[in-house]
Amino acid sequence: MKQVGLLVDVTRCIGCNKCVDACVMANHLGAEHHIPQQEADGLSAQRWLAIVDAPQGGFVRKSCRHCLDAACVSVCPVGAMHKSPEGIVLYDKQKCMGCRYCLMACPFGIPRYEWDSPTPVVGKCFFCYQRLSEGQEPACVEACPQQALTFGERSELLNLAHARLRQSPDKYLPKVFGEFELGGSALMYISNVPLDFLNFNGTLGERPYPELTWDWLSKVPAVTLVTAGLMTGLFWIIGRRMQAQLAGKTQTSQPPEEGK
Amino acid sequence: MNNTLRTWIKDGLWAVAFAGLVAAVIRFASGLGAATGLTDATPWGVWIAFKLCFVALAGGGFTLAAVVYIFHIESLRPLLRRAILIATLGYSSFVVSLIFDLGLPWHMYRIVNWQDRSVMFEIAWCVILYLTVLILEFSPTVLEHPWLQHPILQKIAHWLHQLTLPLVITGIVLSTLHQSSLGSLFLIMRHRVNPLWYSPWLPSLFFTSAISAGMMALVVEGFIMERWFKRGMRFELLTLLGKWVPLPLGLYLILRLSDLFLRGVLPGALDGSWQSILFLAEIFIGGVLPLILLGIKKVRESRKGLLTSAVLILAGIVSQRMSLSMFTMYQAEGTHYFPSLSETAIALAIPAAAILVYLFFAENLALLGAEIPAPTDISTLDDPAAFAKQDTPGRAIFARRSGLAIFVVALALPLMFHPPANCNSQPTDPATLTKALEILPPSLLSSPASCNDRAATPVTPAKGWDVLTINGNNANYTVRFTHQDHQVFLTKELGSEEAACQTCHHLNKPGDQATACSACHTDYYQPQSIFDHTIHETTLGGNTSCTKCHSSVEHLPLTSVICQNCHTGMVPQAGQTAFNMFAPSYLDAMHGSCLACHIQEAQKQNKPELALCTTCHPNGQSQPNQTTANLPKP
Repeated sequence: MKQVGLLVDVTRCIGCNKCVDACVMANHLGAEHHIPQQEADGLSAQRWLAIVDAPQGGFVRKSCRHCLDAACVSVCPVGAMHKSPEGIVLYDKQKCMGCRYCLMACPFGIPRYEWDSPTPVVGKCFFCYQRLSEGQEPACVEACPQQALTFGERSELLNLAHARLRQSPDKYLPKVFGEFELGGSALMYISNVPLDFLNFNGTLGERPYPELTWDWLSKVPAVTLVTAGLMTGLFWIIGRRMQAQLAGKTQTSQPPEEGK
Repeated sequence: MNNTLRTWIKDGLWAVAFAGLVAAVIRFASGLGAATGLTDATPWGVWIAFKLCFVALAGGGFTLAAVVYIFHIESLRPLLRRAILIATLGYSSFVVSLIFDLGLPWHMYRIVNWQDRSVMFEIAWCVILYLTVLILEFSPTVLEHPWLQHPILQKIAHWLHQLTLPLVITGIVLSTLHQSSLGSLFLIMRHRVNPLWYSPWLPSLFFTSAISAGMMALVVEGFIMERWFKRGMRFELLTLLGKWVPLPLGLYLILRLSDLFLRGVLPGALDGSWQSILFLAEIFIGGVLPLILLGIKKVRESRKGLLTSAVLILAGIVSQRMSLSMFTMYQAEGTHYFPSLSETAIALAIPAAAILVYLFFAENLALLGAEIPAPTDISTLDDPAAFAKQDTPGRAIFARRSGLAIFVVALALPLMFHPPANCNSQPTDPATLTKALEILPPSLLSSPASCNDRAATPVTPAKGWDVLTINGNNANYTVRFTHQDHQVFLTKELGSEEAACQTCHHLNKPGDQATACSACHTDYYQPQSIFDHTIHETTLGGNTSCTKCHSSVEHLPLTSVICQNCHTGMVPQAGQTAFNMFAPSYLDAMHGSCLACHIQEAQKQNKPELALCTTCHPNGQSQPNQTTANLPKP
């Protein structure tokens, strides 16, 4: 299967929030649970998509990026966060045990948790996977009155994005957001305002996040073997030496005893 | 330490454990949000921080096992059993704490799915296996008890003795892996962890500091046990630990500081903020100072010197774990985390219970090793076990404990069920609320006692959209609506923010807090039906549900109850209850809501252009103009 993607044209968005409404309807999301002490960006376990105001003006979609090499997928200890064949990051609540590592690891702070439920699950956009299998587009794409959202194959969307950038270079910043950041993502933006405010701390680099952990985790088999070998070896060597020492001592201490 | 003091300390520990029990009930009944200070912005808190500390303090188990069995340093063998008991309790605390922390702990068995890219998967398996190893390592000590002298049990003990070496090596491997992996857990949170605590070498830092913390925990425990039982301290052994701990601790400090220097973080990050002061205190008071103290032979071999150094080292390492995972974690995002009362109660109850279990084992088993006989001879003087047998009958202790339990539970219940202070809910008529809760579908319901309840907050102020771009008929003719200006003006005019919001947001959809106009007024020219009969019918129970809304068999809008009977969050203004089922068209709503106020204001402010049609529709356009530059501000 080819990697799918979603292109957001920030300049076209008028902030009508129809995509949010469509998302709520299509995914049967419940009431928005507002947690007071939390900085509200509009996302919650019941709102998987939000239109936020960019600091420099303009309306920007905030939702799951569906990173090609996703931090949340890599950290999940039970495989609840997983990738579909189309490269969509899906979530299986039957597997989730609620460790919330995905919430901590996501560099965009996207996954949200049902804090007020005794049986909580994670909520995040999954590109309306059930609609895709029925041959429909995601609900937000269908609802957008401005054609600000385009869904399709990621490579084609990249061509489209670059074509738009070429067509009207004065309208956009010369960059497709999400093309290379952290190894690229399925949700991409072309914009007239910088979108770094969506990340935690400005720029994130182009190295996929999971590699930060993999640098160490890949060494686990080696560490296991080395530690086990080292410990067994040390036990044996030191044990033998001490035995030899003990034998030497008894040898040196024996003659005088015999002499007595 | 006299008996009264011991009893007081024990009762205190029991009280903390009981309070934690109450908090645990609340946590499972009402969910994490109501019981803790955790939010989407701060998903990990004090429980994770404590777990890191439990495991660090339990580092003595594998260190001592390596020293005694692998390096054949037999002189330290008397400390081994205690080290393994502390480790077992540390890891048990970790697992128990996990049960509260996980959202769905009964899905824990899902860890059987192989996930080799997840650090937490690796930690989970290492901890499970290592706890098993620890229990196997400790069980021969338990099986020495006179009550367990059954031949089969003794056979098991014999087998376990045979297995010691493989168990020890497995334990060391597993500890090396997960002690370091607890550090790797934070590698992927580069964006969250404070730069002074982040390091690509976190795994090595966690490993070396866990060895130091484990050794020093043994020293501190030795001192406490001596005070408690008036026996059991082999001071020369503790001095030995003090002599060797500079090795892992020094390595830890060198690694940590050199990494910060090499990556160019260090001089720049020391900006005088409280984080940098905490960092300096942690490094110098909790690291360099005890390192120097232990380097001096005279200090190391004095009781006060050794104890002070051990406590300082423990404080430094606990501070490192807590700062990394909690204190400084969320600073970068401008959010603040503070654990709630019940969250703290659970966090403290677990170590309290672990200490009680430790005391139980220490009172009943030969913890100091087989070669030192249990001091039955001095027990008559000041041994709590003997004290319990002689002075206070078991029933009295039981009665006092249960009395204590009732007292603590009674005290803790109202305290913890008290709603959070920052809940700005308004008093709602309980009868209406109950009725609303009965009828609403379960998916829309959350814990009614928490402040997340929508019914209690009909309208919250807008998030501060300065200017709304209204594209009423989706024809790209947009009206710029100065939302903020209107909000400020109306608040001043009507006296309250709530009334101001209700002027336009007169009817909220269920679950919404400030429903946008476009949610109901969808078509520009046609009135809209906003009542979805099918949804109500299905959620209320199909064909049997008619009478829940309709007063007679005739299924007419006239015979039904009005929306806000059930959806208390809806606030229709006077005279608008007729819009129970139908919303006017966008056009009518706009003219109805906006124009009335415009005419009024035009007269009041003597600005007739405010109410002229041409102000919004210049040149006779049927569509409003895109700009409102010619409009005076209200």
